[in-house]
Amino acid sequence: MDAFSEELMGFVQKDNQVEASKDPVPEIHLPWLSQHIQSTGSHGQKGTNFAQTTSICLNFIQEALLKHQWQRASEFLQCYLQTLEDINSQKRQMAPEISLQHALYLLHNGMVEDAYRNLNQAESWRYGEMSASQEKLIKLIQAYRGLLDYYTWSKKRTEVSSFDMDGFATNAATQDMHSYFRQASVNLHEIIKIPGVWDTFVKSYVEMLEFYGDQDGARQVLTDYAYDNNFPSNPNAHIYLYKFLKKEKAPEDKLISVLKILHQIVPSHKIMLEFHMLLKKSNKEEHHKLGLEVLLAILDFSGCTENITAWSYLAKYLKQIIKGKHREWVQEGWSSRKDWWPTFHFSYYLAKKNWKENRILALKKAFTSGILLGKGCKYFMYVSKQGHKIREKSIKTMKKFVMKHNILDSEEH
Amino acid sequence: MDFPDNLFPTFFLPGPPGLSDSPASYLAPAWSDYMQLLKPPQTQDPSINPQHEASYVTKWGRWKSDTPGPLPFLLPGADPWDPELMSQDLLFRGRVKQPARAKATIDVIEQLNHFLWDHGDIAFGPLGMLLQENFNLGEKKKSRKNKMVMNTEWLLRDLNGYQPKGCPWAHLSTRQRRFSLLGGTVLGEEVENLLGGLLHEELETRWKRLLLDEASTGGALGWVPGAKPHHGQLVYPTGRAHDQLNFQKVKLSPTNEPQALGDPSHILLRGPVRQVVTRTIQGEGETHKAACFPLLGFPDVASGAPCPHPSHESIACFRLTLILSSALVAVRSDHHCALWKLEHRGPPEPLQVLEMEKEATGISLSPHLPGELAVCTRSGAVCLWSPQHGLQQIHKDPETFVFKDPSSWRWADFTAHPRVLTVADRTGLRFADARAPSDCGELLFRVGAEASCQRGERVLLAQYLGTPDPLPLSPTLHLVCTQFSLYLLDERLPLVPLLKWNHGLLSPPLLAQLLPPPYPEAPLPLLLGGLGGHLRMLHLSGSGRTPQLAAPPQSLPSLIDSLPGFPVLEPHGQQLLQERLRAPLTGLAAVVPPGCPSPTMLLFQLSAAGDVFYQRLWLQPDTSSESAGSPSTDHAEDLGLNSHSQTSATSSLGTVSEPSAVSWKPRAVACCRRWLKTLLQVPPTLPSWTPPTFSQHHLRWLKEENKGKVQEGLRAAMAEGRLLLQGDLAPLPPSDPPPAHEPFGTEDKLSERLEASWERKGAIWWDGQRDGSRLPRKRQSREKRRTQLSSSFSSVRSTSDFSDVNSPLPHPPKTPSPLHRMSETSQSLELSQELWVKNIPRERRQTLRDYLAVLPSPDSGNCSIPQFQNPSSQSLSTSEPGKCSVPCSQNPRTQTLFSPLPESYSAFYSQNPNSQSLYSQNPNSQSLYSPEPAFNSVFHSQNSSIQKLPSRHTPSLAGSQPLRKKPRMGF
Repeated sequence: MDAFSEELMGFVQKDNQVEASKDPVPEIHLPWLSQHIQSTGSHGQKGTNFAQTTSICLNFIQEALLKHQWQRASEFLQCYLQTLEDINSQKRQMAPEISLQHALYLLHNGMVEDAYRNLNQAESWRYGEMSASQEKLIKLIQAYRGLLDYYTWSKKRTEVSSFDMDGFATNAATQDMHSYFRQASVNLHEIIKIPGVWDTFVKSYVEMLEFYGDQDGARQVLTDYAYDNNFPSNPNAHIYLYKFLKKEKAPEDKLISVLKILHQIVPSHKIMLEFHMLLKKSNKEEHHKLGLEVLLAILDFSGCTENITAWSYLAKYLKQIIKGKHREWVQEGWSSRKDWWPTFHFSYYLAKKNWKENRILALKKAFTSGILLGKGCKYFMYVSKQGHKIREKSIKTMKKFVMKHNILDSEEH
Repeated sequence: MDFPDNLFPTFFLPGPPGLSDSPASYLAPAWSDYMQLLKPPQTQDPSINPQHEASYVTKWGRWKSDTPGPLPFLLPGADPWDPELMSQDLLFRGRVKQPARAKATIDVIEQLNHFLWDHGDIAFGPLGMLLQENFNLGEKKKSRKNKMVMNTEWLLRDLNGYQPKGCPWAHLSTRQRRFSLLGGTVLGEEVENLLGGLLHEELETRWKRLLLDEASTGGALGWVPGAKPHHGQLVYPTGRAHDQLNFQKVKLSPTNEPQALGDPSHILLRGPVRQVVTRTIQGEGETHKAACFPLLGFPDVASGAPCPHPSHESIACFRLTLILSSALVAVRSDHHCALWKLEHRGPPEPLQVLEMEKEATGISLSPHLPGELAVCTRSGAVCLWSPQHGLQQIHKDPETFVFKDPSSWRWADFTAHPRVLTVADRTGLRFADARAPSDCGELLFRVGAEASCQRGERVLLAQYLGTPDPLPLSPTLHLVCTQFSLYLLDERLPLVPLLKWNHGLLSPPLLAQLLPPPYPEAPLPLLLGGLGGHLRMLHLSGSGRTPQLAAPPQSLPSLIDSLPGFPVLEPHGQQLLQERLRAPLTGLAAVVPPGCPSPTMLLFQLSAAGDVFYQRLWLQPDTSSESAGSPSTDHAEDLGLNSHSQTSATSSLGTVSEPSAVSWKPRAVACCRRWLKTLLQVPPTLPSWTPPTFSQHHLRWLKEENKGKVQEGLRAAMAEGRLLLQGDLAPLPPSDPPPAHEPFGTEDKLSERLEASWERKGAIWWDGQRDGSRLPRKRQSREKRRTQLSSSFSSVRSTSDFSDVNSPLPHPPKTPSPLHRMSETSQSLELSQELWVKNIPRERRQTLRDYLAVLPSPDSGNCSIPQFQNPSSQSLSTSEPGKCSVPCSQNPRTQTLFSPLPESYSAFYSQNPNSQSLYSQNPNSQSLYSPEPAFNSVFHSQNSSIQKLPSRHTPSLAGSQPLRKKPRMGF
C-alpha cells in the first residue's frame, strides 16, 4: 500500500507540473495550507526545522505588534534578526528600499537634509547584480531626491524674490537656484516617463518649467500625463491639465474638451460644476444639452445628494431650458432616472429631513421634483405645504411654474 | 465629491501577479504597507505640519477591552455540535518526504479502504449486478445447459470464515485462490477506476472546502438597531443545519453588559443560512408597497406547481402606513435568497423569496435605494433584485475577468452610483452598469502587478464601504481582501490601490465591517475577521484625502482566547469546550451604542457552532507610552488553526507577562461558567458520520409476519416463565443504536450467558446466540476495527467459555440459511428490486424469489426507506431534496415559514391581516414578469402549497433530522 501511495503522490505531483507548464497563472495559494499539513505531518515529531522556527518567530513578532506589545515585539525581533543574519542575500538587496522608507520618514518629520543624505546613500548602494526592479527603485529614489532639490529650489526662489539683494548676490543666488532646477528636472523627468501616479513630481516639474518660461514643455508633460494610455486613469492628471490651460487662457472649446473627458471618467468630480458653467456659457446647443446631463450625473452619486450648489444650478437650468423650449432634453435625461430618483432624492422622509436641516436645499429640490414628477410629488407637496405655513415667498412662484411647466403634464398634452 | 488632489506616488506596471520585474511588488511587503501611514510630502513646504504615526493614540486613545476575551452572550443551543471535517481526517499521515515542498496529499487509500468496508453494498453492488448472470448463488441446478454459470456455493462457504483484512498469511482455499487470480484484476479495476475517481473527486471538494469555505463569505450575523437608541436585534442562524433564523432582541447599556430580552423568535428555513445582511431604511419608501407581495415559502422545485402572482387588487388594497424607521434583512441560503422586513413591533414580515438554479454566492442590500439587492450565483450571473421591480440581470459571464480561474465564486456590491454595481470574482472586480447591462464595465481591481499582488493571490472578499449616512470617509471606497492583503480602492481611480496592508491572517478573511467614528473627526474603525476567528481592527482616516491608516492595526482576541476564563474540565469536557471555541467564525457585528459617555464598541461574534459571544471595547485615553495591549495569556493559541505541535515547542516564549494585562473578573468567569454548564448538558454529539446500516434485516423487521413472530416469541417465553432472550425475537433489535453507543455489547452477552447457564439453559442461549450472531458481516467487522483490542480479548474469553457448556457444541449449519447468504452476497439486489424480473436468467429467478420473499412488498418499500432511526439515513433524504420535510417546532413562537404544512401557513398568516386578501387570488394568473432562467422569483400561495402536499408529506423520521450536511460520501 505504501508503494502505491508513493506512486500516487508522484502522479499527483507530475500532474501539477504538467498543469503548471500549461498555465502561466499559478493556482490559488493559501498561506494557511502549511498549517494544515504541519498539523498532520509532524504528528508525533516534536522537532521543528529552522525555517519553521523563524516563521514562528515572525508570527510572534507580528502578533505582538498587532497587540501593541512593543517591548515584546522588540525582544522577538532581536531573536529573529540573529537567526536571519547572513543567511539571505536577498535581504541585503532590500537595503535601498529600507533607506527610501527611512528617508520618507525623515522627510515627513521635516528633516529634509537628513532625508537627502539618506537618499544619496541609497542611490549609491550596490549589491550584486542590479535587477530591473532595482533599477526602477533607484529611479524612484532619484525622483524623491529630485523632489527635495525642488524644495530647495522653491525656497531659494522665495528668498530671491523677497530679499532686496545687490546684483552680484542675486546673480549667484539665481545660478544656485538654476543648478537645483537642473538636478531636480533631470530626475523628475525620468520618473514621469514611467507609468505610475506621480502627482507630486509632475506638479513640481511643471512649476519649475513654468517658472523658466517653458510653457510648451509644461503643456506637453501634462498632456502626456493625462492622455498616455499606459498610465492609470488619474482624475488629477486631467485637473492639472485643465488648470494649466485655464491659467494659460486657452480657448473655451479646449477647456471643454479636457473636462469632457474627465466627465466621462469621474462624473461626480466637484470641478464638474465649473464644467457646467462653461457649457452654459458656450454658444453651441449641444453644449447646452450636455450641461444638463453633467448636472444630473453629479446628482446621481450618493456623495452629492445634498450638494446645494448642484441643486440650485439644476433648478435654475431647468427653468432656463423649459423657457428655451428644450423640454425634450429634460425628458431624455429623466427617462433613465425616473425609476430610481424618486426614491433616491424625492422621498417623503428626505423632504422632512431636508426641510428641517436645510430649507434652501429643500426648496431647490422641491422645485426640481415638481418639474420632473409633477405637482403630485410627495416631496413637492410636503415642501410647498410647509412653505405655506411659514409664508415663504418663493413658494407661490414655484408652484405656479410647476403647475404650468412640469414635464409630466406636458407629456399628456 | 472631493477627490484627493495629491496622490501618493506609485508605479503602475500592468502584468501578471507576482511579476518579479515590478518594483511595486518588491516594495509591497515592507514598504508600501507602512508608508501609507504617512502623509504624502507637501509640495510647497514639507516642514509644515509633520504628522506622527503615534498621533492617533495620543489624540484619541486606544481601544481596550475590559475582558481578556469575548464572553458568551447567549446560552448554547440544544443541538450538539461537532467540528467539521479537519485536515487530519483527510490527509496522508505518512512521512512527508520533502518538507520544503510539502504538499497536501489526500489519503485516498485510507478513505477508499474505509469506504469499501463501510459501504460494501454500494461499492460492490453494481459489480454484483454485472456478475450475477454468471454466478449461481447456491440453488440447485435446474438446467445444465448454461455452462457460463458458476456455482459459488463453496466459494461463499470458504469466505464464511473470518478473513483478516489484507493479511498475507490468511488461509486461502484453492477455490478462493483461483477466483481471486482470475477475477482479481477485473474486480480490482472496476472498483479502483469507478469508485476511486468518484472518491477522489469528493475528497478534493471536501479538501478545498476545508481550506477555503467560501459559503460563509460576508457573515451570517446581522444587527438591526431598534426604535429606542439602546435597543436592537441580532439576526443569526442556529441549529445543526444552520436553518433556523433567529431574531434576538437585545438591550444595550452604556455601562453594563448587553442583555438579551427574552427568547429569540425564529423562523425555520428549508436550507442553511449562509449570509445575513441588514440595512435600516428610513422613512416611508416605495418598499412599503412591496410589502404586500405574497412571496412566501421556498418553492418546491420538484412539484413544478404554477406560481401565482398577486393581482392588482391586492396591491391596491394595501394601506400605505407611515413607519419612520424599519429594517430589511436579506438572507442567502444555497439555492434561495429571501428578504424580510423588520419593524419594531410584530414578527418579521417576509417580502420575497428568490430561487436559484445554481448556488447563490453573494447578496447585498443597496445603501441607496431601500429594498434593492444585488444577488449573484455560481453561473456567473449578477442580478439587481427589488421586490417591486423584480429581477434585472446586470452581468453574466461564466468566465473570470482577468485570467482563468476555476472558481465560480462571484460577489456583487454597490457603488456610490446607485445604478452601478461591482462584480467580483477571484481574479478581480469589475463595474457593471444597470443602465447598460450589455456593456462590459471597466475593472476596478485586478489581481496583478498593478496592485503588486503575489503569485497565487486571489480575491476573497469585496465590500463597498459607503453607507447611507455620510461618513467622514469618501463614499467611493471599496475594500478588497485577499488571502495576504487588504486593499482600499477608490472607484474614481481604478486599478491603483490607495492603501495596501498585509493583514497576516492565518485564515481566509471573509468578514469585514466599517464602523462610524467614535468621535466626530476621529478615524473610523474597520474590522476584519478571518474564518479561523482571527480579528483585526484598522483605523481609517482621511476625508477628502487619500485614506490612511491612522494608527497601528490592532489584533482583537478571538473566542479561543476566552479559554482561560472557563474552569478547567476533565479532558473530555475540555476538548469539547476547545472545539467549541475553535469553531469557525461565521459572523461579526459591531455596534457602537449611541450616547455613551466614553465611546464603546460591542463586538458580537457568531461561530459555526451557533454560539454568540460578545466583547466590549472602550476607547480609553492613552496613559502610558509603552502601555501593553491585549492581555491574552496564551499567545500561542492565536497562531494558527491547528498548530499544537508548533506551539508546544515554542510556548515557553509566550509566557512574557504583560504589566497591565486585563484579568478575568469574577463576573466574567461566572458568565462563562453559566454558559459552560448549559453546554455540558447538551447531549454529546453523535459520531460525525456513521455508515448506513441498510440491510435486509431492517426491512424484514418491518414485515407484519415478523412482528407476529416477535409476539409469538414473547408469548412462548412468558408461557415458559423464562427470560426473554434475543433468540426469541427476530435477529435484530428494532432500533439499532449507533455502534459507538454500544461499547459493552460483549460484556452484556457474557452476563446474559451466565444468567442462562445459571438457569441451566445454556444450550438454548447458545442457539439464540447463533441466530443473533448472524448480523451483517460488515457491521461485525466494523466493530472489530473500532475496538480491535477489546474484541480480541472477548473472543479469547468466549472460546474458553465453551468448556462450561454442558451441551454439545452446536454443529455449523450445513447450508447457510438464506438470510445469511443474502447479507453476504446479494446486497445489490435490494437496490434493484424492480429490475430483477427483466434482467435475470430464468433459471435463477426462483432463487431470487426466495430471497425477495423475505423482503417487504414493493408497495411498502417506498415509505420504508426513511424509517430508520439511524442518523446516517440522511443520505437518503438528501438525495431527494424536494421530498424532505422540515419539522414543525412545538414552540408557539416558531413560525415555520417554509414548512409545507397548511396549518403553519395559516398560523403565520393569521398574524398578518394584510396578506389575507392574497389568498383569494386566482392561482392561474400569469407571471407579472418573466424571470431569467437562472433565477426564478417564485410566488407562493396557499393553493399551490396544498396541491403539493401529498408529494411532500411523507411520514419520515429521517426528515426530522435537519439536513445538516451531506454524508461523507455523497454519491
